[in-house]
Parts: sequence; C-alpha cells; structure tokens
Amino acid sequence: MSRFFANGSDSESESSEEEVQAPNFNKAAAFQFSDDEEEVKRVVRSTKEKRYENLTSIIKTIRNHKKIKDMSSILTSFEDLTRAYQKALPVISKEENGVTPRFYIRSLAELEDFINEVWDDREGRRNLSKNNSKSLGTLRQKVRKYIKDFEEDLSRFREAPDQESDVEEEEAHDSDADRAAEDSDVGVPKIAEAVPKIPKVAQAKAPAADDDDSDDSIDWDSDTESETESSEDENQYQNMRERFLKRTTEKEDKDDDKRKDKRKEQKTKIRKRAEDDEDGEWETVVKGHVVEKPKMFEKDAEIDIPLVLAKLVEIMSARGKKRTDRRLQIDLLFELRDISEQHQLGTAVSVKIHFSIISAIFDYNQKISEPMKLEHWALLLEVMQSLLKILLVNPDINMSENVAEEHEEFTQAPFYVRGCPLAAVERLDDEFTKLLKECDPHSNDYVSRLKDEVNVVKIIELVLQYFERVGNNNERCRIYLRKIEHLYYKFDPDVLKRKRGELPATTNTSVDVMDRLCKFIYAKDDTDRIRTRAILAHIYHHAMHDNWFQARDLVLMSHLQDNIDAADPSTRILYNRMMANLGLCAFRQENVKDAHHCLVDLMVTGKPKELLAQGLLPQRQHERSAEQEKIEKQRQMPFHMHINLELLECVYLVSAMLLEIPYIAAHEFDARRRMISKTFYQQLRSSERQSLVGPPESMREHVVAAAKAMRCGNWQACANFIVNKKMNTKVWDLFYESDRVREMLVKFIKEESLRTYLFTYSNVYTSISIPSLAQMYELPVQKVHSIISKMIINEELMASLDDPSETVVMHRSEPSRLQALAMQFVDKVTNLVDVNEKIFDMKQGNFFQRGNMGNRDRGYNRNQNNQGGNWGGQRRDNRNQRNRNQRGHHKQQQQQQQQQVQTIDEE
Amino acid sequence: MAQFDLTRINCQYLDRHLTFPLLEFLCGKEIYNQQELLEYILETVNKTNMIDYTMDTRKRLNLSQEMPEELVQRKAEVLATLKQLQNEVAPIMKATDILKNGESMKDSKTFVNALQKDYNFKVEHLESAYKLAKYLYECGNYQESTSYLYFCLIVMSPNDKNYLNVLWGKLAAEILTLNWNTALEDLTRLRDYIDSANFSTIQALQQRTWLIHWSVLVFFNHPKGRDLIIEMFLYKPLYLNAIQTMCPHIMRYLATAVVINRTRRNALKDLIKVIQQESYTYRDPITEFLECLYVNFDFEGARLKLHECQTVILNDFFIVACLNEFVEDARLMIFETFCRIHQCITISMLADKLNMKPNEAECWIVNLIRNARLNAKIDSKLGHVVMGTQPLSPYQQLVEKIDSLSMRSEHLAGLIERKSKQKNQESIDSWKYY
Repeated sequence: MSRFFANGSDSESESSEEEVQAPNFNKAAAFQFSDDEEEVKRVVRSTKEKRYENLTSIIKTIRNHKKIKDMSSILTSFEDLTRAYQKALPVISKEENGVTPRFYIRSLAELEDFINEVWDDREGRRNLSKNNSKSLGTLRQKVRKYIKDFEEDLSRFREAPDQESDVEEEEAHDSDADRAAEDSDVGVPKIAEAVPKIPKVAQAKAPAADDDDSDDSIDWDSDTESETESSEDENQYQNMRERFLKRTTEKEDKDDDKRKDKRKEQKTKIRKRAEDDEDGEWETVVKGHVVEKPKMFEKDAEIDIPLVLAKLVEIMSARGKKRTDRRLQIDLLFELRDISEQHQLGTAVSVKIHFSIISAIFDYNQKISEPMKLEHWALLLEVMQSLLKILLVNPDINMSENVAEEHEEFTQAPFYVRGCPLAAVERLDDEFTKLLKECDPHSNDYVSRLKDEVNVVKIIELVLQYFERVGNNNERCRIYLRKIEHLYYKFDPDVLKRKRGELPATTNTSVDVMDRLCKFIYAKDDTDRIRTRAILAHIYHHAMHDNWFQARDLVLMSHLQDNIDAADPSTRILYNRMMANLGLCAFRQENVKDAHHCLVDLMVTGKPKELLAQGLLPQRQHERSAEQEKIEKQRQMPFHMHINLELLECVYLVSAMLLEIPYIAAHEFDARRRMISKTFYQQLRSSERQSLVGPPESMREHVVAAAKAMRCGNWQACANFIVNKKMNTKVWDLFYESDRVREMLVKFIKEESLRTYLFTYSNVYTSISIPSLAQMYELPVQKVHSIISKMIINEELMASLDDPSETVVMHRSEPSRLQALAMQFVDKVTNLVDVNEKIFDMKQGNFFQRGNMGNRDRGYNRNQNNQGGNWGGQRRDNRNQRNRNQRGHHKQQQQQQQQQVQTIDEE
Repeated sequence: MAQFDLTRINCQYLDRHLTFPLLEFLCGKEIYNQQELLEYILETVNKTNMIDYTMDTRKRLNLSQEMPEELVQRKAEVLATLKQLQNEVAPIMKATDILKNGESMKDSKTFVNALQKDYNFKVEHLESAYKLAKYLYECGNYQESTSYLYFCLIVMSPNDKNYLNVLWGKLAAEILTLNWNTALEDLTRLRDYIDSANFSTIQALQQRTWLIHWSVLVFFNHPKGRDLIIEMFLYKPLYLNAIQTMCPHIMRYLATAVVINRTRRNALKDLIKVIQQESYTYRDPITEFLECLYVNFDFEGARLKLHECQTVILNDFFIVACLNEFVEDARLMIFETFCRIHQCITISMLADKLNMKPNEAECWIVNLIRNARLNAKIDSKLGHVVMGTQPLSPYQQLVEKIDSLSMRSEHLAGLIERKSKQKNQESIDSWKYY
C-alpha cells in the first residue's frame, strides 16, 4: 500500500479529487498536509508527467477516431503523436535509458493492426469517403515508415500479447474507466523507475518488484485500491501513518539523491586533486622566493632564454582551458617575469612576458559584461605602463601582430615579438568604461575610479607615441581614435581664452590637438567607421568650444545625416550626442533657428535620454528582453560624459518658443498654419488644460509661463520667467559663459516679443510711433526700425514707415465678410492643390526634385541644406523639407510674377 | 587700405604673367611701398624670359643703366633657344599660314590629313610647336604664342597630356593680348573641359579655383561678362562650392557684379544667402554693404559702407572700371529699399543716406520719377517725397493666390497628361511586337 505513496507521484494528480470525494476526511489533517502535497505535485508534474499526459491524450483521441473510422482525423492525430513523442524523447532517454515507453509501443501496434484490418477489408474501403480513403493511404505509408524505427520494441511487445486483452478490456469500460486507463498509462514508467529504489526503502513488495515491466492491470488495480482506501477513510491515525510513510520514503529519496551528489562531489574532488597534483609543484612556488625557484625550473638548470620561453609557452598553453586556475596563472607569470629579470634575459623576453601577463589578466574575467576586479585593474595599469616604457626605450624591439610565432626573435638585436599593444590598449580602455559604469555615479567610488582616467590617457599617449614611430596608417588611425574619444567631450577653457586674446595665439589647445588627429584620420583612414567617428567627435569638440561655423560646415560637408541610419548603434549614439551639442552651441551663438533644427529630432521622440544613451527608460510592457537590456546597458555612456538633459530640453523649448510664438501670432487665422515644434505645443496645451495654473515650479512650467507672457508681447514678464534665480541654478549656470547667454536671451526675447506684439495688435492701430515702441521694449530705435523694416519687406506686416513723424502706418484693411470667406476658400483650394501635387509627387518618385537630386556635390547640398534648414536628416524630415522647398519655389515664382507685374505697371 | 587689398591672395591663383598687370596697377596706387613692390616685380620677372621687361624694372628701381653681364648672356641664350625651336617647327610653319587664310580647313580632321599628306607632318612637330608656344609666352610674345597654341589646339586630340596646358596657355595669352572675345571662347572651352574630364575631387577643385580667378579678368572686361559671371559663380553649384571652400574673397567680385547688374535683381536674394553663410570666413565693405541693406535694413550703416566701398573699388584692379556704375546702382538700391518700406521721406534725410547734397538728391529723384521708375510725388513745401503706395487690397491678394494656383494645376495636369500619353504609347509599342 505504502508503496504507492512511495512512488507517490503517479496518483498525486488525483489526490485533490480524492479530497473532494471524501468530504469526511479529517479536516485538520487535510489542512496540515495540503501544502506539502501540493508541493510534491508541482515538482513531479514538471517534465515527464506533462509529456506523457500529452502523449496519452493523443492516443486516446486516436482510439476514439478509430471507433468511427475517421481516417483523416487519425492521420492528423498520428502526426501530432509523433511530434509529441519527439518532444518527449529527451525526457525518455534521460529517465528510462532510452527505452520506449510501453504504452506508446502498444498504441503503435494497435494502430498498425487497425490499419491493416481496414486496408484488407476491400468492401469497407470502397465505402469510405474520398477524403477518408485518401487519408488512409497516407496514414498507412506513414505508419509503416515510422514503425520501422520501433521494430524491435514492437516485436517484443507482440511476443507478450496477453496485455492486449487488457487493453481491450479497458476499452470496454465507460469514460471513467478510460480516465483510469490513462492514469495507468502514466503510471507505468514511474513504477519502472521506482523499482530499483524499493529494496533500499526496504518495503518488501514482491510482486511489483518482480514484475519489472509492471503490467497495467496490477497498476490499475492498485490505483483503484488507493482510491477506495482514501474514500473509505478509516481513521485519522491511518491517514497520518500514510502520510508519514510517504514522507519517509520521500526523505529516503532525498537522502539517496544526496548520497549520489556526495559521490559526485567526491569524484570531482578526486579529479581536482589530480589536477592539483599536476600543478602541485607550482603552487608552492608562489610562497617563497628562494625555495621555489628550483621548482619553477630544475634546481641546477641554467636559466636561459629558450628555457624561460618554453616555460612561458607551457603556462600560456593552459590558457582558456576550463580547469585552469586563472589567478594562479597570473601569479606564475609574474614569477616568471621576476626570474627573467633576475637573470637579465633581455628586454625582448620581458616584453613577451609582460604581454602574456596582460592577456592573462584580461582572461581572468570570463564574462564580457562584467568589469574586472579592482586589484587586477591596478595590476593591469602598472604592467601596461611598464611594457610600454620598455617598448619606447628600446627602439630595436619590433612588436606587432604580423610577426609569426616561428619568426619571433629574442636573442639578438632586432628583436621580433608577436603581440599587439594596440589591441591590448583598446581592451584596457573598454574595461575602464565598464568599471566606470559599474559604480554608482553619485558616489565617491566613481570619483576615485575616474582618477584612473589620467592613467588610461597616459597609457594611450604612450601607445600613440609608439605607433607614431612604428605603426602603419591603420594602426595609427585606431590609436588616434582612442585618444580622440578620451578628448572630445572635455572642455578646454584655454580655447575660449585664446579666442578672446587672453592667451597668445601660439598656445596649444585641445582644439588644435583634435584638429591634428582628425585630419590625419580623414586623410589616411580607409575604414569608414573610424573616419565617421572622428568627424563626429571633431564636430562635438568644435561645438563645445563655440566654433559654430566650423562645426556646422563639418556637419554639412560630411553628409553624415544621409547615411547615419546605416551606422552601428554606438556611432549613432555619438551622432546624437554631437547633434545635441551642436544645438547647444548654435543656441549660445545666437542661432536660435539652427538650435531648434538640431534638437528637434532628439526631442520630438520624447526620449532623449535613451537616444543619448544616458540611461534606460523604465520597462514598459516588456518592450525588451533581458538580453536586449543587457546589450543596451553595455552601450550606455559613463556618467561623466553625459549631456545635461534638462539643459538640453530647456534650450530646445526656449528656442521653440522664440520661433513659435511670433509664428502663431502672425498666422492666427491662417488655415494652413503648421506647428514648428510639436513638443512645445504639447507643453502649452497641457498647461492650458489645467484649471488652475499656479506659479511655475519646474523648468518646463517656467518656459510655458514665459511663452504665455510673450503671446501678449509682455517681454518683461517673459524674460523674468526665463532668466531668474531658479532657472539660473537649474539651467543657465551650466553654460561656460552664462552671463553672455543670458544677455543674448533677453535680447532675443525683446525682439521676438516686439514682433509678436506687432502681429497681434497691429489691427488695433492705424499708426504706432517707433520711439515709443523702442521705449517699451528697451531696444535702440535703430533696432526697432530694422525689425519693422524686415517685417514690411517680407510682407508679414502690412504697413509702411512715415519718416518725418517716425511712425509706422498700418495699411491693414479689414476684409469684408465675403472677402474673408473667399480668402478661406482660396486657402482650402490651395491645400487641395498641394495635396494633389504631393500625391503625384509620391507616385512619380520625386519628379519636382529631379533636377536637384542628380547632383550630390557637397557644396551644393550645403546650400540646399541651409535653405531648408534641415539638420536631422531623417527621412521623414527630408520629405518635409522637400515640400518646404517646393513651397519656397512657388513663392519665388509668385514673387517673380509680382515683380513682372510691377515692372509692367511702372512702365 | 591694405586690409581690403586682395592682390596678395589673388596672385596665388594667377599665372606669373597675369600678375604683372595687377602689380603694375598697385604701383600707381601708393598702398604699398613703391620700392618694395618694384623689387618684387623684378624678382618675379627674373623667373621669366622677359629680359626687356627686367631691364625696364631695373631702370625704374634705379639700379643701373647698364645691362649686367649675366642678363646679356641670358638674352643671347633665350634668342638661341628661340631660334632653335623655330627651326624645328619650320616645316609646318607654312601650314599655319594656310590655317590662317584657308576657310575650308576648319574641320580639324581634314586639316590633320592634309598636313600629313602635304607637309609630312609628324607628332614630334606638334610637340615642338607646343614648346615654341610656351617659350614665346615666357618671353612675353603673347601674340605669336596664341597662333601656335591655336594650331596645337586644332591638331591635338583632347586626350593629349598637353591639351589642358594648351587650353590654359591660350586663355592666358588671349587675356594678356586683351582679346576678350576669344578669351571668353577659350574660357568656355576650358570650363567644359574641366567639367567633363575626370579629375580627382581635389584636382577638380583646384582647377576650378584657378579658372574662377582667371575668369574674373575676362568677365569684367567683356561686355557680356556681367551676366556670365553671375551665371557661373552663383548658379553653377560646382563653382559656388569652389568659391565657398577655396576662395570666399571672390564674393567681392560676385557682389559687385550683382550690384551693377540692374536686370538681375533677383540674383540678390541668392547672393545674400551665400554672403550670410560665408560671413565668418570673408567680409569686406561690399558684402557688408549688402548685408546692412538687405539683412539688417540699417541704412545708416549702408551709407557708411558705401563710402568705404568706393575706396575699395578704386584700389581693386579687377573692378576699378565699375566704380561709377557701382555707386550709382548702390544708391538706387538704397533708395528702392527705402521706398518699399516708407510712405513719406524727407529729402534732406534721403540726401544724407545717399551721400548727396539735398539739391542733387532732389534732382535725382525728379529724374527717377520722370523716368517712371518710381511712383511718387514730391511735396516741395515740406521737402518730402510721398510714395504712391496703395495697400494690397483683399481682392488683389485673392487674385495673386489664385493666379499661382491655376498655374500649378495646369502644370500638374500637363504632367499627368504627358505621363498618360507615355503610358499609352508604351502600351501601343508593346502591342506592336505581338
């Protein structure tokens, strides 16, 4: 009886049913153990059970179909069955040593018999529907083919046909019995498995133990027995006893497992011991100096170059193998280095050993995503430096990848060593970034880690010197790029000082260094990637130091925006960073429009943080898998290279405000008005939706409040919202010359407010005096004059100046209702024509632009770009630009016509 | 005034012989030290074979009246070489004569055939003719040089390695002989050659830069040049590009050309765009004048700049001839802009802005009104000019908008029609094969 609890698992699926069936079951006991039960159930059901259940259910459906001779369904079920079996195979091979489960074989045999029977019955076959007979044919072929693999099992099965009757008997049962049969099917292999354990448990249950294959009937019987037993539910004690028994067996099982584990452990230990034995002599070497030397080499061995090299090769050959103790390897190599230095085996050998140490340290960490340990990092820096010092001091050592192992030369003057310091330094640099990313950027750890940057840069500098002496162009480009990447994001105040003349023009600044390095790469690089990155870094650096025009020209002439989409992610990140910085630079240099164009692509997505790789957005609906997240984490920028996002957003919003507000005012009733900045609109709208607007708190609220003030032309309030103490600490103080920027801002606010004011209120005035406007906006009269003139010329403002009285005279004549309607109508018709043209344009490929597209010369595009003011280069924007150009084109035509009309009039 | 002098930069891109006129021009301007200039000229001349010119310069420098020994020797040498080269070419000399008279020999192929048949012409002859031409050019005998170069040009195939040199030489010689019509022809020929030949990007850029500088000489001397210069510099992207990258100082000449060209006012807009773009690499009074007038609408600034412009133009060899035109047109531009913005202007203020006396200004305006270039009236009592501007009525606006609409739709309809016709044609064509 208890045996079934010992194997337990098979009937567990029913145990819950049991409980339902037996309401008089002692509740306390049930509660006591229910948890336990469930636990067991879960564990067991995991793989084997599931697969088997799947199989049996399919077999059952086949049986059902057989009854009604639905051949096509049998065919599909059979295919399902083979598939399910395929799935179950690993479990089977694991749990039953590859013996095909009996119930499966049985079902196959049945199926075969059934098919033969149907096939032989010619009369019946003719009566079958077309579909069914067709299925029968295919099924027969398939089964025949499939069965071939199980020939042996089948023949063995057929030798014991007695079981077949059982099956038939089962079939005779009603649905309940069917379920039971199913259960029994599941039960079979379990018992088979449990058999060897039974003797250990010392539960003498001879019949079951004897019957290795554990025939179905018995099994089924026992199942029912257990059912009846539990339904009988004699008393609590017995129940408890059962439970207890079951538990003991469980424990026994566990113990057994443990024992196995132990044995395994022992084995591995033995193996390890063997390994240790192999390396045993080395381990002791580490401890003392004098003692172990003879162990490193033979006691009286003459230590010379070949011997050391042989040892080195020996140590290094263990590299990468699973059982190698990597820490030990590093120690050994250090040891070897000391020995070789003691015996003065020459610099070449020492270089070789140094290099081996470096690669051993790199090897220490097996996971690429994890940073190396700090101790190793320090060691690495030190070894790297000493290696490079040796290389630089001894010009007769040639170290490169091109030297083959056989051609290495350690004994005489032109030494040849295989190895690549470039690859090593690149790896070192990557490791450094990883280390930085590991630290919390706001902790002291980060700062102390960052101090190593000096060392890293120093090492890069040394390698650079080395390669300037020996390297070919490609290698030089690579190391230059490394240097550039450590240089480009750093601000050098000397540049601006020199620009202002505070420093003599001969001072060497970082911009000059960048120039030199980048120009070399532009000229010599033959891989596109290095050049692209160099250009991006170069632009970034220029933008950082307010060299707006140089930066702009580099962007436009390099045509990066055309094909940046094809670049690798890290280059795209660099591109985004460059664009962000270019935008900031344009803003500082009073080019609000350009600033907006640069930033719009970053900001319109709403996730500049991700685009700049400065942090991952919180997970939304599992957008990315863990794998992806890992990759993305690797791409993140270390904290000290971040661009302040709030500053970026503020600059963007302010420049959008400066562009958008006058535009809104000018086109208040224009049906064809389009928004310049979507993000800015969103901010405006969200603030309008609020029922109660409090005083601004965040940066965004400040900008929105300023925008609202500007809409009424109230420049003072606008300026106060943009430039105040809060905003200064939040944003503006982050600029190097913050005072200048603030002045510039106020100036722009005044000008744009004036424009807005004129647009908004011009219909109220017949004339406005210029001096009073100048007074209102605290601008020089000259400036006001110039602004108004510009508006008049551009036909934005219907007015003209009256010189003697210094006033602006408005010509705006209010259209009558009919006229206004007509105007609206015309606008709509214009829209229609626009749309028509667009459609034709799309169908035709860019027909209107054909003339322009053919020519891709750099300067030409440069002009074109500036006309459209397109910076982003994303396809969407290109389309916009095209439309814009088109419109401009038409406008031009229009104007030409106007002019013609005018000249005709004049004549 | 030296800060706006471009001779130093321009000379980098000119042939040695072409710089002499510039340098001589400077000698008369007293911008630089006369003595130094002459020494520089002497140094340059010494590199050529123009012995007489060397002597002349030496005289002007008051070095010595006597010809130094080495110069005498060199002169003899030069003459000897010349003689020798002429001998080499002698067999085909007659042919060149034929070329000059024979109208029927225009086709180069028939000409070459005839040469081979009648004069036993060989490739070496061509080589020596080229050498002679070059030598003659170096000696300053441009007239004769051109005729040989012309000969070479006709006989040579465009693939010849000297072909480009011949083109350049021809252009230089024509410029130096002040033969503007042929110079212009050569210029176009050279430009076509440069544009079609496959140079590397840098080479092409260099060639174009040179061509731009040389062409300035031609354009400002040829009557048609003023249109052509705008056409080439502003509307040929390749050349605009070359100007932007290599020689933004050419903007001065381009700006001048646009200002003095009344019929091409719409080029102004494009020009100003370019000027603004390049304002960080190059600015001088002329570009600043345009910037003041059309970007900042700063009339006071424009007035001051116009004043500066006059001195700059006066000292620039290339555009000195356009001075009066420039001033006149610049004034007109100021005035036109003024009129577009203003409703009423006092004459005295206007006179001030135009660098004129009030009386003169009034006279000038009266002339303008009489010539119907200006829709305005003078209020002589108050001393005002009142513009006859009418505000744009809604009706007019409407008409304008619709005007362009119909044109656009027509254009679109035309395109579609063409497309469908093409399609039909295609389908008919494709049916033919069945």
